[in-house]
Amino acid sequence: MATTFTAPKLSSPTFQTLCRNLPVFVPIPNTLSSFSRHRHRHHHRLQLQQRQRRRLFVVRAESGNGSEPLRHYDFDLFTIGAGSGGVRASRFAANFGASVAVCELPFSTISSETTGGVGGTCVLRGCVPKKLMVYASKYSHEFDESNGFGWKYDTEPKHDWSTLMANKNAELHRLTGIYKNILGNAGVTLIEGRGKIVDPHTVDVDGKLYTARHILISVGGRPFIPDIPGSEYAIDSDAALDLPSKPEKVAIVGGGYIALEFAGIFKGLQSEVHVFIRQKKVLRGFDEEIRDFVGEQMSLRGIKFHIEESPQAIVKSADGSLSLKTNKGTIEGFSHIMFATGRRPNTKNLGLESVGVKMNKNGAIEVDEYSRTSVPSIWAVGDVTDRINLTPVALMEGGALAKTLFQNEPTKPDYGAVPSAVFSQPPIGQVGLTEEQAVKEYGDIDVYTANFRPLKATLSGLPDRVFMKLIVCAKTSKVLGLHMCGDDSAEITQGFAVAIKAGLTKADFDATVGIHPTSAEEFVTMRTPTRKIRQSPESEGKMGHEAKAAAGV
Amino acid sequence: MARKMLVDEEMTQTNQEEAHYDFDLFVIGAGSGGVRAARFSANFGAKVGICELPFHPISSEVIGGVGGTCVIRGCVPKKILVYGAAFGGELEDARNYGWELNEKLDFNWKKLLHKKTDEIIRLNGIYKRLLSNAGVKLFEGEGKIVGPNEVEVTQLDGTKLSYSAKHILIATGSRAHRPAIPGQELGITSDEALSLEDLPKRAVIFGGGYIAVEFASIWRGLGAEVDLFFRRELPLRGFDDEMRAVVARNLEARGINLHPQTNLTELIKTDNGIKVITDHGEELIADIVLFATGRLPNSKRLNLEAVGVELDNTGAVKVDEYSRTNVPSIWAVGDVTNRMNLTPVALMEGTCFAKTVFGGESCKPDYSNIPCAVFSIPPLSLVGLSEEQAIEQANSDVLVFTSTFNPMRNTISGRQEKTVMKLVVDAGTDKVLGASMCGPDAPEIMQGIAVALKCGATKAQFDSTIGIHPSAAEEFVTMRSVSRRITVSGKPKQNL
Repeated sequence: MATTFTAPKLSSPTFQTLCRNLPVFVPIPNTLSSFSRHRHRHHHRLQLQQRQRRRLFVVRAESGNGSEPLRHYDFDLFTIGAGSGGVRASRFAANFGASVAVCELPFSTISSETTGGVGGTCVLRGCVPKKLMVYASKYSHEFDESNGFGWKYDTEPKHDWSTLMANKNAELHRLTGIYKNILGNAGVTLIEGRGKIVDPHTVDVDGKLYTARHILISVGGRPFIPDIPGSEYAIDSDAALDLPSKPEKVAIVGGGYIALEFAGIFKGLQSEVHVFIRQKKVLRGFDEEIRDFVGEQMSLRGIKFHIEESPQAIVKSADGSLSLKTNKGTIEGFSHIMFATGRRPNTKNLGLESVGVKMNKNGAIEVDEYSRTSVPSIWAVGDVTDRINLTPVALMEGGALAKTLFQNEPTKPDYGAVPSAVFSQPPIGQVGLTEEQAVKEYGDIDVYTANFRPLKATLSGLPDRVFMKLIVCAKTSKVLGLHMCGDDSAEITQGFAVAIKAGLTKADFDATVGIHPTSAEEFVTMRTPTRKIRQSPESEGKMGHEAKAAAGV
Repeated sequence: MARKMLVDEEMTQTNQEEAHYDFDLFVIGAGSGGVRAARFSANFGAKVGICELPFHPISSEVIGGVGGTCVIRGCVPKKILVYGAAFGGELEDARNYGWELNEKLDFNWKKLLHKKTDEIIRLNGIYKRLLSNAGVKLFEGEGKIVGPNEVEVTQLDGTKLSYSAKHILIATGSRAHRPAIPGQELGITSDEALSLEDLPKRAVIFGGGYIAVEFASIWRGLGAEVDLFFRRELPLRGFDDEMRAVVARNLEARGINLHPQTNLTELIKTDNGIKVITDHGEELIADIVLFATGRLPNSKRLNLEAVGVELDNTGAVKVDEYSRTNVPSIWAVGDVTNRMNLTPVALMEGTCFAKTVFGGESCKPDYSNIPCAVFSIPPLSLVGLSEEQAIEQANSDVLVFTSTFNPMRNTISGRQEKTVMKLVVDAGTDKVLGASMCGPDAPEIMQGIAVALKCGATKAQFDSTIGIHPSAAEEFVTMRSVSRRITVSGKPKQNL
């Protein structure tokens, strides 16, 4: 039970307060931090050494494991990479009493071998700027909707790109500052520079050596652009989040969530958008019905999908515009061609090969259930391990690691029922299994679906619809998966994720009273299965028919 | 009797051995509860008749409409107006995102009103079809109970029909009530407020309940000057106190003038509007005065006294746990019973009634952990116990977790409005007793949380759920540090 009471102190409220409460960034004076209960952590060598000596003593006493050779380390934990996972692990470790340093590359909105920034992908080049751009771009749909509710615009609303970029970047600077403060307040030493592992206990940051009892690699991933002729003209998601001017006509190559999110962003900000996908459908790995539905809805909003069309070359014309040559032909006149063709772990030039840290063929670091690499003193969390590449998962892995290492509480991250969202327009929320996965794993399942026009759309007159789906185990009645595409999907899914994580049954959903009038209430009022899927072939078709007939009542 | 034959033809599955009742069930009132009970009973094989007053957006003793309060004069039109009004704030927020809009935005109230009316007419039609598809016979007219198994329907032309029924269900709902102050006839109720010909420039609202707060948000969002008067210190009596304060703060920040602990004492008609006088001696002029001072059950003209159906002192029909009145063949569901006056609760009561009476399955409505929402701008939503209720009922310490944050959208829009979330947890069992939120999308977010609470989810189960990033809802699963602990023995300690 001790953890329940210790953990609170360490965790997010301070962060959230800092992160979200202050519309204007108020720098916390350095003098203040020295009054805090956390130890003063300026870079004075002497202070540092004194502290470490005391710290080492504490750790040794706690660990009670006499087999480890006594050795002096500069730090108990040295973290390479101050993104979501690295910051979480470092803060929690420091709060558990460890002496911690973290190194990170200098700030830039575009990442490279030499630039990064405290906060990492999520804060600087992912979730946050993306969501801000989604907010900005959603307004054009809201203007259309508002017409149906009596609002009128004398002139069509125009979007000024530079205002958005300036306000977005100001916010990113504020957030990276907050992250630095969070580290500082937790007593973590922040070192700016590029970390490289020299031996199992030594990290080199731009020529300076630091020893550590444990090393954590949390360097994340970076967008990957396939090597085709003219690929130097393509942009990736880093650049797409920080374009100097509005792209007039964009080609997006890829059918994953990043491609769809940017398609929505650019469309909403009044660009012409073409999406090129290799397969027949977008979002491989998602529930098939969701894949169909979101593709349809996005097409209705004016995004042009080119299916089964793979890029082969990019050609720059004399007028500066770009042409995309595909297996089906050439499309001309793009101002920008964006590749959203996957991300790769940042494991190059980290010295991993020389110390013997094993990687898989994609360059991801191989770890065990506790995030330990093949070298016992080296650990890795987050996208660099390519498990589930989501910020909250990296946070979970970082938190678990800190507990494992510094609280004598070996903790495995739990990857069951991790919910996620795609901030496409309309957005998607999902948790648990897809129908295809559920059939494979459980055989007999009942599928409940709802496909309806939300109240807002009946007034706005727009063709927006909402799709919802519950997948239920026929034998146990447990809800195995929940999927939704439509307004507020991400927000709606979170609460249901708690229910699904807790292993609740369809009967539990049915017993819950709806909140009227909402979209979410549909999830607790799905009375009749749309289809029942059974392993025995003769019952399958019949049940399906009966179910459909009953659904009309 | 041609009519009766027609009914018989439609209904092939009648129970012939039963004594000569025209219907197995006759429902008075085709609102949420009545329609649900009628449809489900018919699906169980019962022969069902239902009567409802003719359609009109504004209700009276002789006017109503299939669909009832929710569809015609409540949830649905209200939500439509809230959508319309919310654009006001959203459009302002667009500017900092780079959108260039005219300084003054044009809003056409008549267009919204017209579209709202179209929509409720459409829904009224859908409800009628639902009934006929289920094989329920619909009568237009006013229903009265003339005996334990006898209903009389007075049709529009004055002709009376009389039917016998094995069971009678009263589902006549409720109506807004006006306080007895001089000049009260100058004020309006929520019925009229949903159908005003012109958008008021100066609106006075009397009442602190959810209806008052919602209309304040609607009119303010559409640009009116709004003054809200209520008797208590904070609006929304009965809700969590901390959340009430949050709502009050948000209303004020959005430009609504709050007048707590103030009653209206008189309305006087003047040349430039209605003069409103308060018990503090204040006077102000308004175009519209809305009374949102409560609703009363529609039980007066049903002739209930004659058959001996008991009412409580508010006029609500008294029922047992199965929704049965003291007359065994007469039942009642929905607002007319004044239990928990929410559409989904009426639906639940209607469903349970049908199961109990015609489905061969005793079914009591379960009133625990019923979520609800107030569609103020921004909205409030909650499920389970308030902090005050939790402390009152607690056997062990109560832990309160709160999160107050600036929603991400506001970081760029510059809107100064915090979202507040709260979990109330039993320290002994770790069970989450209550959840509440005030902020954008709160009602949508709360539905899933309600499933978890309904099944007794623990705080540990919330904590073990991964967040969806970046969302507002993820705060509900990342509240790690307790804001305060209230010991059962000691006095509640509030660090507000």
